Amino acid sequence: MSSLSKLNPLNSMNLRQKTILLIGLIVLLLVLVYASSLSIDPANILTDFTLRNQPPSFEHLFGTDWLGRDMLTRTIKGLGLSIFIGAVASILSSILAIIMAFISSVNKYGDVLIAWLIDFFASIPHLLLLIMISICLGKGAMGVIIGVACTHWTSLARVLRVEIKEIQTSEYVQLSEKFGKNKFWIAKEHILILVITQVIVGTLLIFPHAIMHEASITFLGFGLSPHEPAIGIILSESMSYLTTGAWWLAVFPGVMLLIIVLLFDILGEEVEKLLDPTKAQK
Amino acid sequence: MDKKYIIGGVVALIAIIAIAAFAMSGTSTVRAENELAMAVSNHGGEPEAGFDPLTGWATGTEPLIQSTIFKHDGNGSLVNDLATGYTISGDGKTIDVELREGVKFTDDTPLTAEDVAFTYNTAKETGVTNLDALDKAEAVDDTHVKFVLSDVDSSFVHRLASVGIVPSDSYNNETYGENPVGSGPYKLAQWDKGQQAIFEINENYYGKKPYYEKITNLFMEPDAAFAAAQKGDVDIVEVPLSYANETVEGMHQVIYPSLDVRYIGLPVNTETTNEDGIIIGNNVTADPAIREAINVGINRSAMVDGAYNGLGNVSYVGTSKLLPWSSDYTIEDGNVEEAKRILAAGGWTDTNGDGIVEKDGQTASFDIDYSSSDSTRQAVALQFSEQVKEFGIEATPNGKTWDEMDTTKFNQPIVWGGGSADPHQLYNFYDSEVAANEYSNPAAYNNTAVDALISAAMANPNLESSYATWSQVEPAAAPDVPYVWIGTLDYLMFVSDSVDMSDDTHTIYPHGGDIWGNVYDWTSTNATAS
Repeated sequence: MSSLSKLNPLNSMNLRQKTILLIGLIVLLLVLVYASSLSIDPANILTDFTLRNQPPSFEHLFGTDWLGRDMLTRTIKGLGLSIFIGAVASILSSILAIIMAFISSVNKYGDVLIAWLIDFFASIPHLLLLIMISICLGKGAMGVIIGVACTHWTSLARVLRVEIKEIQTSEYVQLSEKFGKNKFWIAKEHILILVITQVIVGTLLIFPHAIMHEASITFLGFGLSPHEPAIGIILSESMSYLTTGAWWLAVFPGVMLLIIVLLFDILGEEVEKLLDPTKAQK
Repeated sequence: MDKKYIIGGVVALIAIIAIAAFAMSGTSTVRAENELAMAVSNHGGEPEAGFDPLTGWATGTEPLIQSTIFKHDGNGSLVNDLATGYTISGDGKTIDVELREGVKFTDDTPLTAEDVAFTYNTAKETGVTNLDALDKAEAVDDTHVKFVLSDVDSSFVHRLASVGIVPSDSYNNETYGENPVGSGPYKLAQWDKGQQAIFEINENYYGKKPYYEKITNLFMEPDAAFAAAQKGDVDIVEVPLSYANETVEGMHQVIYPSLDVRYIGLPVNTETTNEDGIIIGNNVTADPAIREAINVGINRSAMVDGAYNGLGNVSYVGTSKLLPWSSDYTIEDGNVEEAKRILAAGGWTDTNGDGIVEKDGQTASFDIDYSSSDSTRQAVALQFSEQVKEFGIEATPNGKTWDEMDTTKFNQPIVWGGGSADPHQLYNFYDSEVAANEYSNPAAYNNTAVDALISAAMANPNLESSYATWSQVEPAAAPDVPYVWIGTLDYLMFVSDSVDMSDDTHTIYPHGGDIWGNVYDWTSTNATAS
């Protein structure tokens, strides 16, 4: 046993190295999924009516659907779309959150306004707001992205607001103020640097939510046309064929979605470990 | 974001599998032998405004609760229902219908000519079917009703088969839908909105009484309906064509041909904006070379095999071969080389090597919209898009709701569906009078020769001999390709082995089907055996 464990390179690594390795692997996997989805031209996901509703086989690992389209390529394409929407939406919502948090730090009125806005957005169920926003902006990926971005900034904004308040009361910030540094300089040099960890981890943790909500909204039929490969659409379409025994239409895309979401979640946690030393000791 | 999501995901997965397993397990409900449970849509499923023919219940099909003046038989010919005969005046402007005597509504009041006149005059106002040609309907005496037309239209007689007759004395447009009173073979016993309607036999019905005394129609989505069939909860279920390869224990497939054709409108004019801000015309399809190339280039039989799952017949015109006024017009299609030649001759060439042809800076590219809730139309749109790409035309499929398509229907090609047993539909397809009007003539087609043929057919006071003129309309219009006809659909049902739907006597199926058209002849196989 002891000789075997010495052979295992993992055992010679410290926690930090292991964390970096894990992060690297996850990022590689996600990049791989996204890159392969980019290489698929949706115009090439062709119908083939001789291959309708085929169960999984070596030729079609995920089986085929009612139009004879290969479900593996459709699923990968759908996941790529999910990752893209997730990425854009979570970056947008982080930017929103940062802006909101800084506005709240300007003065008392800004703070009241932002606190009210956070409560307002947090009190409406995400999905409802998401549906309304994406309908208002017209259908399509754009509506979904803006919709997700506008609904997911609240938790990060709340964390940042408290964090910034804490920093603002610290002595060196007050010292800077006394020295006549303007608010923008303080925000840039003192505050932003300290909250950047929160922002990175927060963005990564919005990701899984964004993907889940993208899947839910396309599942409900808002956003994209029913022939386009989005995970939610694939899953809702599979419902019609479950009764005929086509289990593969739901199971594989569903499991893949679950895996992607979990990967992002783990990624967020590991990055947090790396950036926040107090977390790493736990 | 923690363990609860993992657990949630696993729970969702298990739930899906459990639902599927539950749906496939069989526990059947026991029904009496002369009771039927169905899940059929009969065009649109649950009537939103209730079972009121004046708000659209069963227009052109068997209304079950009400009677109609005429009915269509399996050949598209008119047969008497309430009528015992009719005459058209020499100038073609008056139609006299003689009615059956002694017919009673389910509230025991007699059905007279006054009720018929009231029904048609009101239907003209509510616009459930095209009654523009009707000036007014008048009761001459109890059994004679006179239809006075403002324009000569012999095909108007067909519209006397499309509206169920309601009682003039007690009709109230607010309550009738929920409490319909009619003289049909059944009466509405119960309507659970969103779930089911129960029809019970009308003991006073004047005609042949159906064998089944109680019919329950469940309003279900196709997958739920199919699951119900598997469980044995329903005896007859209507499903989309994508279910053609399925089997259900204890049930057999019943497949009927129909007049219901799928077609793609190709706007014939260049784009202009009307006073409502609606764009009429399409700059790509306005070029005849594009329309002709599509017409000969697409492979209709591949579409019928593919998108229709093999259940249908190719069409080169909009009138089904089942109808007396059909034509023999046909073309050679599936010819990609010929399509390319037509495009090249029309000046369309691929200058930038992207596989799509261009002309004068205009790329041969347009959207093809389909109703996102209709799987067959989705399949047609996708297959059409793949086929036209082979000869250099880009048609991008777009799933939309009908509300969304209302604003684009005269601009973008749409996968349409339609088909009626009334030759007047040719007027709606081609006549310039109704160009880009509601759902009529979406291609805004305008051809004086075709208009003249339609007017001549309508002006012929003899309905039978007018069919010969009607049959010339489509061969005259088809070379301009305002529409690319794909094919007529078959209607697919799973029917319990204990039900005999009398396959020989089913009526002609218009758009939406007419499953109850021969409900009078249905029996139980157990009943005939005993």
